[in-house]
Amino acid sequence: MMMSLASYLVISAFLFLIGIAVILSRKSLIAILLGIELILNAAALNFVTYSRFGSQDLDGHIMTLFIIVVAAAEAAVGLAIVIRHFQLKETIHIDEVSQLKE
Amino acid sequence: MFHKLLFIMSTVLTVASALVVLLNKNIMHACIALLGSLIGIAGLYLTLGADFVAATQLMVYVGGVVILMLFAVMLTGGQDFVSKTQKLFDLTPNMGNATSYSVGIVSAALFGMIIYGLTESSLSSIPKKDIDPNLIEASTLERLGELLLTDHVLAFEISSVLLLGALVGAAIIARPDRSTSSSANTSEEQ
Repeated sequence: MMMSLASYLVISAFLFLIGIAVILSRKSLIAILLGIELILNAAALNFVTYSRFGSQDLDGHIMTLFIIVVAAAEAAVGLAIVIRHFQLKETIHIDEVSQLKE
Repeated sequence: MFHKLLFIMSTVLTVASALVVLLNKNIMHACIALLGSLIGIAGLYLTLGADFVAATQLMVYVGGVVILMLFAVMLTGGQDFVSKTQKLFDLTPNMGNATSYSVGIVSAALFGMIIYGLTESSLSSIPKKDIDPNLIEASTLERLGELLLTDHVLAFEISSVLLLGALVGAAIIARPDRSTSSSANTSEEQ
């Protein structure tokens, strides 16, 4: 019963909700990106889990690899925007972020 | 036995580190805890027999994304924003105000809904059997390579273009002195 489908899904749901809570409660732009990473990982874990317990083919693995690639691209662009905003406005507080020009 | 041990250790590492990401006030520590959580997820991939995905998770996330986030934290001063209102705990961000209570209620409600959905419907159509701990699985590497270059070759090529565009765009966005360099370019043209 321990390494069953349900236990993996509960772990994934837990990670997803931690990510939601991080996004809702934190006030720093980088911390919100941390929450997004947690949510993407929860989704990727679900893909691999269903690939193992459900259809037994490797399409879930392929999907997880593409999720990792897109998450890397998203993190690069998001952090570049954060750094650029900090250079211009000297803050990354979510309430004071509204525009990306001087 | 080894499978079960790996599963328990990965689960504990993942869940505990995710809680630290949520509850720690210092954003630097939150980044390090995210690293622990991603390593735990790589261990969970291993228990599912996904060896190549686990290796990719370690290399791309632990070696790439978290390091990028640590760079961003250090370049922006590493400050996090703690509400100055009355706090239940001094350790955690935004504890004890209306935001934290509403976030807690929303998260608990969503978690309850997901668990209810799991127990009610989605598990009934899938056979309920555990992973056999004694099963030695073949490597997925060969089949993954074949699939990537036959069935999914379009997505594979598009993802390479996406990575190129995203990284060039990130370098352009994060370039520090855009105004001075562009004025220098125009003066050169003149």
